[in-house]
Amino acid sequence: MERLAISLLDGTNAVLVLMLVSLGLAIIFGLMKVINMAHGEFIMLGAYGVMALTEAGLPFWPALMLAPLIVVAIGLVAEELVIRRTYTRLLDTILATWGLSLVLRQAIILLYGPGSHAVAAPDLGTISLFGSPYPAYRLVVMGLSLAIIAGTIAVFFRTRFGLAARAVIANRDMAACLGIDTRRLDRFTFAFGAGLAGLAGAVMAPLISIDPAAGLGWLVPGFLAILVGGLGSLAGPLAGAAGIGGLDSFTSTLASPIAAQLVVFIVAIAVIRLRPDGLVARRRRQA
Amino acid sequence: MSMANRVALAALIVFALLPLIGSAGLTADLAIYFAYALFAVSLAFVWGQAGLLSLGHGVFFGVGAYAMSILTLGMTPGLTDLHSTWIGLVGAVAAGALAAGLTGLLCFAGKGLAGAFFGVVTLAIAFIAERLATSSTWLGGLNGLMNVPPMTLGLNGEGRAIFDALPLYYISLATLATAMAGLSWLLAGRFGVLLAAIRDNELRIWSLGADVRRIKIQAYVLSGAVAGLAGALFVTQFGFASPSLIGFSLSLDVLIWVAIGGRDSLIAAALGAITVRLLESRLADLMGPVWPLILGLMFMASVIFFPRGLFGSLIAALERSGRRQDS
Repeated sequence: MERLAISLLDGTNAVLVLMLVSLGLAIIFGLMKVINMAHGEFIMLGAYGVMALTEAGLPFWPALMLAPLIVVAIGLVAEELVIRRTYTRLLDTILATWGLSLVLRQAIILLYGPGSHAVAAPDLGTISLFGSPYPAYRLVVMGLSLAIIAGTIAVFFRTRFGLAARAVIANRDMAACLGIDTRRLDRFTFAFGAGLAGLAGAVMAPLISIDPAAGLGWLVPGFLAILVGGLGSLAGPLAGAAGIGGLDSFTSTLASPIAAQLVVFIVAIAVIRLRPDGLVARRRRQA
Repeated sequence: MSMANRVALAALIVFALLPLIGSAGLTADLAIYFAYALFAVSLAFVWGQAGLLSLGHGVFFGVGAYAMSILTLGMTPGLTDLHSTWIGLVGAVAAGALAAGLTGLLCFAGKGLAGAFFGVVTLAIAFIAERLATSSTWLGGLNGLMNVPPMTLGLNGEGRAIFDALPLYYISLATLATAMAGLSWLLAGRFGVLLAAIRDNELRIWSLGADVRRIKIQAYVLSGAVAGLAGALFVTQFGFASPSLIGFSLSLDVLIWVAIGGRDSLIAAALGAITVRLLESRLADLMGPVWPLILGLMFMASVIFFPRGLFGSLIAALERSGRRQDS
């Protein structure tokens, strides 16, 4: 019973972080039709950011706040130098971002070496949950992730930026005709999505082994989540991440992580087969 | 004769004469790079001709390499006396084709996955295949299968083993040239026209009555078979099959070779693979970890500035100047 409760909590933790990852992927794809293969590296950079900042003497919490901003800056530069040059060529965006991910990984290897690093979690002690101790930091991770997810939804449905972004998702050319600066919006969107990934990496930094390949493991689940959930809305990726992340932690606990990967993949393919537009399909207006 | 074919023929003549002047080390290196080139050709075939961007193509190469190793090491369940190079080759081709067939069925059945997400699903398959190979004790886990025997001429592993660089060089070159000639012949005919048409406008070809799904699966199976053959050719020379062949890193490598060389013609992809590997072997020691960074930058630059690849752009330029002279 105790073990079950703990693994449920760990599973929830993984699901919430995966939600951040797939939200970023889905926003970038929805707006810009860019499949961002470097998303995993943005996660990895978030974790390295926390590591570098704490090593430079900054306390943990400010480092946690600053690291995603560094990733936002890197996202802005990448958008300007690479992404915007391949906008009209969908398959080439995959290649360009795949190349970007290789470059970012190698840059990190040059700077910090190929080995793995660790960041000490802030000592928040444990909290007794369901009669067993649970690290408080993990609860903080969950709370932060929830807050950011809620914040993202608020940005999209309560701000002018969000309104413009939704207009571009619905009909890019029409939005441009109405005077929305789609170029500026693309830049913001890419940086925003990168920032979400960076934040996911930053909050997970004390919980994972930080190495140059740390982000790769998130990339495939993130993509499966948005494929399963559907791309038409913000609810799609969230639902997909809940399904993929939940199934993954559940099977990992019951069997093994490798069995979990297989099961998740097979279930994801089955879902995509049965519902090609995803679980939360946007209703299309009939023309 | 098309310009790509002329370039291919010229390259074949150059490579056939190269051992006369090149060093023994270069010959031995190139023999292995021809296997990589064959692998690159298999990717260019589905990507450039059929528009299927396969991000996990290493799976088929790796499956071929493992199949060859198992069949020649006498590890086949129930058939421990089997060491035949010939059955190994057939098995590697069949394994690559089978793996590609299953992937194709998974991805193209029903409505089919849209172009971009096809790549993501194949990448997921590569990740899983690498994990499976790493965790399988039968396949040697993280270390892989070692001491894979070289090719032998006898029916069941007896007879003369081919160790020497020169025969290996010509066997690899001949395999590469034959496979490329076969694929080019296919592409010049009805099948090639259909593939190019599907790449350019799938919906139109479908509404004209072609069985798009079947043609795509056929092309993918063929590509998987060629990749499997490349894996077998590689492992008999390299001597061991490890999980890194089947998964993520080699899949990314082959994508880079084809993108830098050129995806539009098979010869551009093959030359891309050979060039990048040659550069890598000469520069990697010199530059250490900076080399992959430079390779990544070259990859990005070629995607952005030379979408047709270095050799692809060169062939296109030759074609243009040829036309100007004709008129």
